[in-house]
Amino acid sequence: MKRLLKMPPQITRLVLLTLVIVCIYFGARHLLTPQSFGQYGHYRANALQEIAAREPFWAGRNTCDACHGEIVRKLAAAEHKGLSCETCHGPSKAHVENPEVKLPRLSYGQCVRCHEASPSRPAWLHQITPVKHYTGSVCTECHVPHQPNEVP
Amino acid sequence: MTGSFTRRNALKNLAGMAAGILALPAGRACKAAVRNVFAISQAPPGYDPFKHKWLMALDVDRCIGCGLCVEACKAENSVPDNDFRTWIERYVITRPKAGSGESRGDTFVDSPNGGMGGFKPSLIPRDDILKSFFVPKLCNLCENSPCSQVCPVGATFESPDGVVLVDKNYCIGCGFCIQACPYGCRFMNPTTHTADKCTLCYHRVTRGLRPACVEICPSQARIFGDLNHPIHDDPLQRFIENNKTQGLKAHLGTKPRVRYAGLDEEVR
Repeated sequence: MKRLLKMPPQITRLVLLTLVIVCIYFGARHLLTPQSFGQYGHYRANALQEIAAREPFWAGRNTCDACHGEIVRKLAAAEHKGLSCETCHGPSKAHVENPEVKLPRLSYGQCVRCHEASPSRPAWLHQITPVKHYTGSVCTECHVPHQPNEVP
Repeated sequence: MTGSFTRRNALKNLAGMAAGILALPAGRACKAAVRNVFAISQAPPGYDPFKHKWLMALDVDRCIGCGLCVEACKAENSVPDNDFRTWIERYVITRPKAGSGESRGDTFVDSPNGGMGGFKPSLIPRDDILKSFFVPKLCNLCENSPCSQVCPVGATFESPDGVVLVDKNYCIGCGFCIQACPYGCRFMNPTTHTADKCTLCYHRVTRGLRPACVEICPSQARIFGDLNHPIHDDPLQRFIENNKTQGLKAHLGTKPRVRYAGLDEEVR
């Protein structure tokens, strides 16, 4: 012990300096590491909640069922059963929150967007070449979008 | 160091102590400030990330290339105009030259504006096309994700529920992760100047909704589910049972979790 204390002064200074640097490092780490860092892993656990705090934009199909159950059931039994209401009708959150807000009417373009023939499209999809199939612009003259196999 | 008890030494020690006492509240204030930057939490209550494992699967044979998922994602997540969290690629494989002995010709891949607004007819004449298909792309939710390995600050990570996320309040915008992702799924957000990517619509799935692209896809090309809590007749379980699935670029060792069915060899 005595020998330790009798270390040359330059070594003592070096040891003290090292200790000070280590202390500064741990102090700075303690002060600068944000809360919840390392709780789940090498990241801020609170980030999960912050990312989850964003408000959804699309209302989702289950929301429509509350008021339009009849149409949703009709759709579920027909060819278009896999479609969400918002796929064709567009974002409906405003309408869900206030039914007075009406959704825009559907147009010819929305049908053609999926059903226009293309060599890249899979064979199971019903495809048409618009100019050959029909020259008008109201698909619903012949087709019922909620029951595509029915004739109006 | 031994120094005797002199006036000079006593004053030195006193000054040191005073500095220490003064530094304490300053340090506390500093720590509180750092905490405040990161203290906002309006997440849906009662969600436990350790109880779920989300996964998306893609059925290439079901994708019709309408591009609605890309638009749904943009609207849901306010994705900047020229960047994409999900996009659709069109693969066109031409017929081999007659007598060449090859099984297939050249491969052409395009994704005009990520597939937003759908695809115009390919410039390759129809008769030259051997086959063509659409491949939806998104973050592959790697188990061994290169992006989170290269992040120098721990701003990107694999969450306990299986999603690779970016902590935009902690990201320093160095862009290493963007270079590291072998799937090109990341981009630099021009407004926040931080890395940005698909979150698997984390704010929707934690509320019990499906991701926007899955919700809007008209042809069930995107299948989504919770591996830990399969629902009745779970679409994801059924999909994995009924299809031969694989991950993209599995040879890179990233262990991509997103499953693809119906992939051709040309798809990268």
